[in-house]
Amino acid sequence: MIPELGQLTLTFAFALSVLLGVIPLIGSYTANERALLVAKPLSVGLFVFTLLAFLALSWAFYHDDFTVINVASNSSSILPWYFKLTATWGSHEGSMLLWVMILAAWTALVAQYSKGLPLLMQGRILGIMGLINVGFIAFSLFMSNPFERSLPFYPVEGSDLNPLLQDYGMIIHPPLLYMGYVGFAVSFAFAIAALLGGKFDSTWARWARPWTLAAWLFLTLGIMLGSWWAYKELGWGGWWFWDPVENASFMPWLVGTALIHSLAVTEKRGTFKSWTVLLALGAFSLSLMGAFLVRSGVLVSVHSFAADPERGVFLLIFLLLVIGGSLLLYASRMHSVRSQARYELFSREVMLWGNNVFLLTATLVVLLGTLFPLVHKELGLGSISIGEPFFNQMFYYLNIPFALLLGLGPWVRWKQQKAAPLLKPLSLVAIFALILALGTMAATQSIAANLALLGLLLGAWVGVSALFEIYQRLQQFGSVTAGVAKLQASHYGMTVAHIGFAVMIVGIAMTLTYSEERDVRMAIGDRVVLAGYEFELQDVYKLNGPNYGGEAAELDVRTVDGRYVTHLHAEKREYNIQRMVMTEAAIHARLSRDLYVSLGEALPGNAWAIRVYVKPFVRWIWLGGLLMAIGALISLLDKRYRRTGTQAGAQHA
Amino acid sequence: MRKVLFYIPLLAFLGLSLFLLSGLFSDPRERDSAIIGKPLPQFALPDLMSPEQIWTPENLKGEAYLLNVWGIWCPTCNAELGYMSQLRNEQGVRIIGLYYVLPEDPMFGEVFDLAKLQADVQSRLQAFGDPYQFNILDRQRRLSLDLGVSGAPEHFIVDADGIVRAHHIGDINPQVWRSKLAPIYQQWAAKP
Repeated sequence: MIPELGQLTLTFAFALSVLLGVIPLIGSYTANERALLVAKPLSVGLFVFTLLAFLALSWAFYHDDFTVINVASNSSSILPWYFKLTATWGSHEGSMLLWVMILAAWTALVAQYSKGLPLLMQGRILGIMGLINVGFIAFSLFMSNPFERSLPFYPVEGSDLNPLLQDYGMIIHPPLLYMGYVGFAVSFAFAIAALLGGKFDSTWARWARPWTLAAWLFLTLGIMLGSWWAYKELGWGGWWFWDPVENASFMPWLVGTALIHSLAVTEKRGTFKSWTVLLALGAFSLSLMGAFLVRSGVLVSVHSFAADPERGVFLLIFLLLVIGGSLLLYASRMHSVRSQARYELFSREVMLWGNNVFLLTATLVVLLGTLFPLVHKELGLGSISIGEPFFNQMFYYLNIPFALLLGLGPWVRWKQQKAAPLLKPLSLVAIFALILALGTMAATQSIAANLALLGLLLGAWVGVSALFEIYQRLQQFGSVTAGVAKLQASHYGMTVAHIGFAVMIVGIAMTLTYSEERDVRMAIGDRVVLAGYEFELQDVYKLNGPNYGGEAAELDVRTVDGRYVTHLHAEKREYNIQRMVMTEAAIHARLSRDLYVSLGEALPGNAWAIRVYVKPFVRWIWLGGLLMAIGALISLLDKRYRRTGTQAGAQHA
Repeated sequence: MRKVLFYIPLLAFLGLSLFLLSGLFSDPRERDSAIIGKPLPQFALPDLMSPEQIWTPENLKGEAYLLNVWGIWCPTCNAELGYMSQLRNEQGVRIIGLYYVLPEDPMFGEVFDLAKLQADVQSRLQAFGDPYQFNILDRQRRLSLDLGVSGAPEHFIVDADGIVRAHHIGDINPQVWRSKLAPIYQQWAAKP
């Protein structure tokens, strides 16, 4: 009964989305105020009904309703209740419903918080959101119905959730990621509404900014969490694999990052208009492309759902309509727009232009690396694979100028900057950065000219520069203490996010250079020494979990001079229903290094294969990502976004 | 001119979607093997059961055959032994095994022991069926590497002149044999 109600509410939601996609848009051309006003209640109704559908599916999972095919193939009665709930989005069908629900949530949020927008703009934006909803709800309802029953013959037990997904990270990773992907639909809708209206003053950019920041914030958190989850769960200490699906999430992130910066130029200086619109279209287009790559089976990846060409065709047609249509609109409307603002070569505008160039080049690299094997094969040239070495090398070269620019950018003024006043503070920054980098290196490793030193230098340059810059900015208010309260939140946000980037490149460079690993055979009582730590295997015993068995190992870690460091508990689980073996690595995390142990196969002679890693600074990678997200959050709290649009517009003028 | 620039994103996207469309209808797991149409790489490897016999591409020529890369450590390989024996006995397919030796790890005290391997293979073939005319021992895994083997089991159809005509990754079952491999095998086996 409940699943049928779910299907019914989803059908209602579909009807509402069609109304939302049609009425306000027609109203916007016939100047019919009532047609425009209906957008808001329709949006809220759409959200309520998709939420009900989602809750109905969750209910079916929670109550082990194995007559629903989706539940039977992705859950089981012995699964703990919290994993039953998260299994709701563990399959293609369920995750699509989550996607739809989140899209409707964004739509309702835009409806709720767009009081300051002119009615015409509001109607157009919600109408476009409605059209996107139509596509995804139709896909969910007609191509991948999550409520389908297998009556009258249904299994008495489900085939369990994929053990990879039975982890706390799985509870929040997909929702965060989808919040990010789908959130770019809002920036997209703003851009399309601006294109339809043909007005490209800076107001649309100011309205779009907080929404873009929010989407980017979620996407950043989602990607970071995914990386951390892979590190913890896959048992071989990797944190980024350049897997096609990871790339599919990385591309909208890169374009979204460029968009945030470009929006700043458009808002403050009224230039980069056509560029910003293109980025806004691009961020969401790449999100859609990501959904297509994951769900169509075009690419093989650990993330992909089962391949189904029919679904792929549907999504591709949707892609063509949304991306193709918006790019056509862009091409026909945008070419006549010119901006008047002038700026010199050495100015904030050019710095941000540089940011955009590097981020877009990076996006292009990822796009080519991901799709080139497909293109190559479809051209009949045979199979090739592009892997880590290609991406690592490209990002290595891209990162050096990008980081140098990033340390410089915030110091530079709009319109025009004279070089002389910057020389003194920037040389101070450079000297501090050098000392800091060499000091860190001497304290943790030994000084050598390698990738780690480069990473430390670049990270220190960006970080020290960001700190100096905000200090100097605070001083301009008279005194630092007086400035703290006066400086805009968005400035703090920028500084925190830039420091996050610095922290991340330090983490990546140090981990890549100084990670050590060993595969060893260990019997109980054996010891192995790695990077100054001595690991002693104390015990191995049988595990008895709710839906898994397996083995657990207990290890003690001491430094080589005998000081006790920690106790580690690593598991190798065998999931009963899916017959899958999963490693639960034991990790002892500190800012300066992770100790990481994963338990492998049992070997003859009462011994086990054990993999031991020492990974310096690996935490910094996720800490950096977290700082970037916090930066976005702080910026979102900026008072400018609190004011209603028209007031802010008036003040700006 | 300026107008044209704004159409570039659209054109790039349309071009890309053509590839996505064709990508939809091709199996991403199906790879074209680089070896098809080329002669077997050079090798001189011993027979698994009687190592004094050395096999080279030359002394395998004369009749088309199915080359099967396998090992007793590979459960799927064991599972297909039955059906392949049937192919040998009922259809007279000439099947030659390329025995893939897993790398030994000296750290775990593993050493290569030919006598033990022969005994293990013998008992496995007795239990599941023996489709092989004989087995080539690829001790250093060089031949498998040269053939582009990515896992076991894999199968190659080699014609009477030693040219590789087909490459199949995964097991042979009635469906795979009938729809994919049998036509190629019969085409090349029929040639004098």
